[in-house]
Amino acid sequence: MSAIVRPRELASLVLAGLLVVLMVTTDGGSASAVGPASGGEGAFSKTRTITRVLAATPAPEETSPSPTDPTDDDPTAEPTDDPTDDTPQDVVDSRQFTLTVDHTLNLRGRERVKIDWSGAHPSGARAANPYGENGLNQEYPVVIMQCRGIDDPSLPEAQRLKPETCWTSTRQQRSQSTDAVLGVWRHDLKATKADRELKSGLTDLPKECVDTKSDATHTTPFVAANGKVYAACSADTMPPEAAVGAALPPAEVSAYSDADGKGSVNFEVRSSAENESLGCSDKVPCSIVAVPIMGISCYDDNYDCRREGRFEAGSSNFANEGVVPAVSPLYWWSASNWDNRVSVPLTFGLPPDACAVLDKRPPTAFYGSELMNQASLQWAPAYCLNQQRFKFQHNRMGDDPAFVLVENGQAPAAFVSGAREAESTTERIGYAPTAVTGFAVGFTIDEPGNAGERQQLNLNARLIAKLLTQSYTGSSRGQQHPGMEANPMSLNVDPEFNALNPGLDRIQREAAATVLSLSESSDVISSLTSYLNADPEAKQFIKGARDPWGMVVNPSYKGLKLPVSEFPLRDTFVPTSGLECYQQNPAPYFSQLAAPVNSITKIASALLDAWPNVQTKCDRASASDPFKVGRIDRQGVGTRFMLGIVSLGDADRYGLRTASLQTASSVGPSSPFIDGSGRTFVAPTTSSISAAVKLAKDKGSRSAFQMTQDMLRKQPAAYPGTMIVYTTAKIRGLDKEDAAKVSAFIKIATSEGQVPGSGNGKLPGGFLPIVKTGATAKLWASAQRVATLVAAQKEAAAKPEATKGAPKPAPAAPAAAPVDAPQDDAPAAAAGEGAATATDDIVATSAQSSGAAGALFPVLIALALLAGLGGPATRVVHLWRNR
Amino acid sequence: MNTSVQSTRPRTRATLTALVALLSSALLITSARPAQAAYAQIEGSGSTWSQGIVAQWISDVDANGMQIAYNGAGSSQGRKDFASNVTDFGITEIPYQGKDEYGAVDTAGGREFAYMPIVAGGTAFTYQIKVGGKPVKDLRLSGDTIAKIFTNKITNWNDPAITKDNNGRKLPSLTIVPVVRSDGSGTTAQFTAWLDKQFPSIWQPYFGKSGLTSYYPKKSGSKTIGAAGSDQVMNTIASSSGNGTIGYVEYSYPVNKKYPVVKLLNKSGYFVEPTQYNVAVALTKAKINNDPASQQYLTSILDGVYTSTDPRAYPLSSYSYMLLPTGAKDQRMTTAKRQTLTDFMFYSLCQGQSKAGPYGYSPLPLNLVQAGFDQLKKLSVADPAVDFKDRDVTQCNNPTFVAGDLTKNKLAEIAPQPQACDKVGAGPCGTETGTAPTTTDEAKNPKSSGSSAQAAPASGADPAAGEAAPVDPDTGAAAPVAQAVAGEGSVAVPTELASGRPGDAKVFGALAVVELIVIILAPGVGAVYFRRRARRRLGAS
Repeated sequence: MSAIVRPRELASLVLAGLLVVLMVTTDGGSASAVGPASGGEGAFSKTRTITRVLAATPAPEETSPSPTDPTDDDPTAEPTDDPTDDTPQDVVDSRQFTLTVDHTLNLRGRERVKIDWSGAHPSGARAANPYGENGLNQEYPVVIMQCRGIDDPSLPEAQRLKPETCWTSTRQQRSQSTDAVLGVWRHDLKATKADRELKSGLTDLPKECVDTKSDATHTTPFVAANGKVYAACSADTMPPEAAVGAALPPAEVSAYSDADGKGSVNFEVRSSAENESLGCSDKVPCSIVAVPIMGISCYDDNYDCRREGRFEAGSSNFANEGVVPAVSPLYWWSASNWDNRVSVPLTFGLPPDACAVLDKRPPTAFYGSELMNQASLQWAPAYCLNQQRFKFQHNRMGDDPAFVLVENGQAPAAFVSGAREAESTTERIGYAPTAVTGFAVGFTIDEPGNAGERQQLNLNARLIAKLLTQSYTGSSRGQQHPGMEANPMSLNVDPEFNALNPGLDRIQREAAATVLSLSESSDVISSLTSYLNADPEAKQFIKGARDPWGMVVNPSYKGLKLPVSEFPLRDTFVPTSGLECYQQNPAPYFSQLAAPVNSITKIASALLDAWPNVQTKCDRASASDPFKVGRIDRQGVGTRFMLGIVSLGDADRYGLRTASLQTASSVGPSSPFIDGSGRTFVAPTTSSISAAVKLAKDKGSRSAFQMTQDMLRKQPAAYPGTMIVYTTAKIRGLDKEDAAKVSAFIKIATSEGQVPGSGNGKLPGGFLPIVKTGATAKLWASAQRVATLVAAQKEAAAKPEATKGAPKPAPAAPAAAPVDAPQDDAPAAAAGEGAATATDDIVATSAQSSGAAGALFPVLIALALLAGLGGPATRVVHLWRNR
Repeated sequence: MNTSVQSTRPRTRATLTALVALLSSALLITSARPAQAAYAQIEGSGSTWSQGIVAQWISDVDANGMQIAYNGAGSSQGRKDFASNVTDFGITEIPYQGKDEYGAVDTAGGREFAYMPIVAGGTAFTYQIKVGGKPVKDLRLSGDTIAKIFTNKITNWNDPAITKDNNGRKLPSLTIVPVVRSDGSGTTAQFTAWLDKQFPSIWQPYFGKSGLTSYYPKKSGSKTIGAAGSDQVMNTIASSSGNGTIGYVEYSYPVNKKYPVVKLLNKSGYFVEPTQYNVAVALTKAKINNDPASQQYLTSILDGVYTSTDPRAYPLSSYSYMLLPTGAKDQRMTTAKRQTLTDFMFYSLCQGQSKAGPYGYSPLPLNLVQAGFDQLKKLSVADPAVDFKDRDVTQCNNPTFVAGDLTKNKLAEIAPQPQACDKVGAGPCGTETGTAPTTTDEAKNPKSSGSSAQAAPASGADPAAGEAAPVDPDTGAAAPVAQAVAGEGSVAVPTELASGRPGDAKVFGALAVVELIVIILAPGVGAVYFRRRARRRLGAS
């Protein structure tokens, strides 16, 4: 074709191309392409010496000597700054502090970066909640904040970070007022003269702030991105984004270091979209600042300034007792603390282009699966921003009701993740594979002894079965349940769990007796319960067999037939209690423990907050009011233990940890074990999900792929939570315009929609790309076929009457039946029961169907036909040869 | 444009023309990109009654670059959070009450605000009653009976009053377990306001005073169970221990859970379900405060709704409200946040209303949307930098608006009349409830799969057909396909034998094709064969 391009046409083409390029480049540069955010882009690491220096005046008796630490003897330790004072000084503590951050470039709002450190002073007095003002009563934490500006002295003043540009959610974290003698910051060795005054920082306070004249006061104002200065001397003089108890919780954290001085935290960065006053964006650079609290360096012999912490390293402070101010995070801005900081420069990605709210085109809504949530969020702008495309919306709904809407013609397409029998046999519905993702058991669990968060968890099907069937008793109230007296109270005291996950605490908690799950019908629950059903250990446990340690299934769930698409709340036991509250509010206890919710996204956010949905908290407004029962409190950091069923998309988006599920075992179902040997556990990864998809069998355009748990069990590397989400739509009888949209959607979703990345139209994390080659090739091919069928809308209508009237060739069939035994439990001889005749007998029957038998039947017919034709034919051939 | 490329014949000139066209259209796209408003994340808390649709709106506007965090903590908490400047907006079913039942302050605490209706809906009574192991799905109750049930006056499902409501169909002896909200709830407030106005002689002695409450008073020693949040009310009723329970939640909860709802008796003697149609009809009688100067502007007095004499009206219909921070000096608001709130609500009040029905809510009538816009406008008055241009009702892509007449509610106009079997003394219809019909056909003929000996004398016939609305709103929509009952059967909905299976159709279809081929081809092939043989024989001889 190109061989005969004429010069004139070529020139016009080039001209047009140039025009386009020109328009794009002059467009303000807000292109939406941002590469995948994770993957270690701009990993950061820095090591520096951090010190505490005390003036060498005769030291007053220390209350407790500093805990000995190997790094104390570090010969390289030298004070980094020259003291401004003439007094001789002792470096009482010096450490090599190393801070690493896994990625720092092209960040999005609310993205989490992983920060690790070592060489910090061991922390004490761990707060249950280290975020925002709640973390103030701790000793020797590492204060981690997000600040506007870069820590580079060569930059102009306005672009440099300083305490005034560091975000805190409350006034308490930046401005202090205290009895004059307790103002330890005034004794700071490195403080300027002005900062040693009774009033320092912002001294010209607005009238809203009441400041006692005799008190020592330091005010650290906040300077917003637009230049506005917030005095930050009261709750009313803080920036608008600051609030206590807000839905968007504080990100800044006073993080805990373990006894070795190591620690880690997932820090959530905020862009100007979440925090306008802080104002970090692609144009305004920001930094993460970590201030390891060593204790204030003191220039004189002030007792309070020179104090060591009063809590032991590794201790907790659940009672929120007072701590030693000089070693607390309260004065992170004090010069000697601030000098020990490590600053990590960040860059933010371009904000993705968004749909215009005034766009008048009516949206085309696809209904269905919440598994698609994160993908549809990223895909939607790629549709509305393109005038050639339609305006795509995803209405979240259960798989079943969504599919019914498609059948009834009330929705053009639905996302579902399993084959379902059309309720009307005349409808022709195509299944286009659109995403490969799945479910996971998410967890938020702390290591005992304040040693950080648990990273990895192994679960077998029996443990999940125990959780779902409410077989843990939760508390002494649950232990009254008949038939469950000997069962463990919660997962973490179950010897089976301990064998697979050694080293966790054995504190009994109601929240650890359950896994937060869905209350409504969903293909996720079908898939999860199929996994349990395919596992011999879990299956036998539900049937009533004791586990090797004697635990038995909750009798209300004994013999529960799996799989189910909606997990029932079957326990009706109401315990007795001596407590007035429970006497006033008798309710089935185990349903209060399970308390499933109606959306899978709610589970993810509950896990993120470590806020179990257990409904057993007693409360009343006053002593004269009746008791009420409600949701228990958030769990304290350090003793969290919570599990929930999440989607892989949500898990990736929110950085939730997910359990590895058992795929194979050489251990007998009833033999006890002390570790995970002989068992294979598989985490949701690209390779384990690919391994699962590889097993999927194409069952034609009008059905989902076959990928049963029985099939997955044969491949121990395959992740059992893998699920394929299909776009289902009519391939006959769909409105022409809708058909074109759905077809286009399938094509776009399986091409540009499968390119991994965080930009508009790209595939977010938690999804395996469906591509032309490799494990997903057959999904891709199937999607293209269905896209064509949907566009054509020419699928032949099913004509039940016509087929019913067809002569039955049944007599010939049995003779030719091959020995290929079908695997399904439905009878193979489907021929006889073909068309059920109408009857007035009111007996509930469901349509029994066997895929194998259905497939076998035409083969039999064909064989019979062949035999019928073959007989005469061979005879004819024989005759002809004999001629 | 794309299609023109595909259909072009492989001729160079045409290809080039198409390419140029394509490129120039790409050019149009890039230059037509709208100036993007600057948004900032906003957060709110409150009602679980309206959370189902609010959550969907929040995911919809994500595509517009808006980020909204919402915590369904109950209306009382939502009002409290808003008053204490913890949130940017609140959602509540009832206005600030001045004082709550514990004497604690229930005001906005000096924060300037305005009420704005966001969606309508019906407070539904969902229940679990099993007869012979099968769930009853067509219960009918009068308000009087409901009031007595929730005040522990009627305690057994075989009570004569219930039998009478169901036209003589008696339920077996089964203890009634009312399920109420334990947290401060707007749903409770809506329900108790109705009890207080309609059944004061039953409600007030039980409550000990007059008026509504957000915290349902539970008498010790009664069977009543309290649960926190609509989710947990639904769980309590749907669990295995839920046999005999009845509770109140917004219609969307039973719809999503496929649970039945009570058909409630209205003033004209019909038992009706809170479909989007029946709610819309009832709310035409809501008395909206129309004084823009009043702090209570747009709040509603629902007495007329309770007593509406339209045969279609669902008495317990109401609105959900957003608390808008309208103060120019609001501590939490910035230009970007006000813009986000403006555009979030512009979407929700306009286009967002069109999906109210399938989610178990009812869209707002145009006059309330218009009034809501006026409230919303206050954000741009407080901060002139907020862009409110072109954000008006004419831009809404909302099929439920009657163009040119603000006061009319199209849904109320086209709402089908109830069936004759839904009238007092007739029926019961024996049809399933809790399915949120999205077309008038469905609303008129609720899903039913046949008739049984006891139920549905009137099923099959359509007694109300004559009075039904003349307009079919869903133009071209095919008649709804009769839906088979999923899972377990129900008492009123008998099951029938499957008359065919999709697999069969495939098998027999294939068979028919093969046979057809054989029938068509065999004679021809045979004829050819024999002719050739004959010819060969001729040649040989």
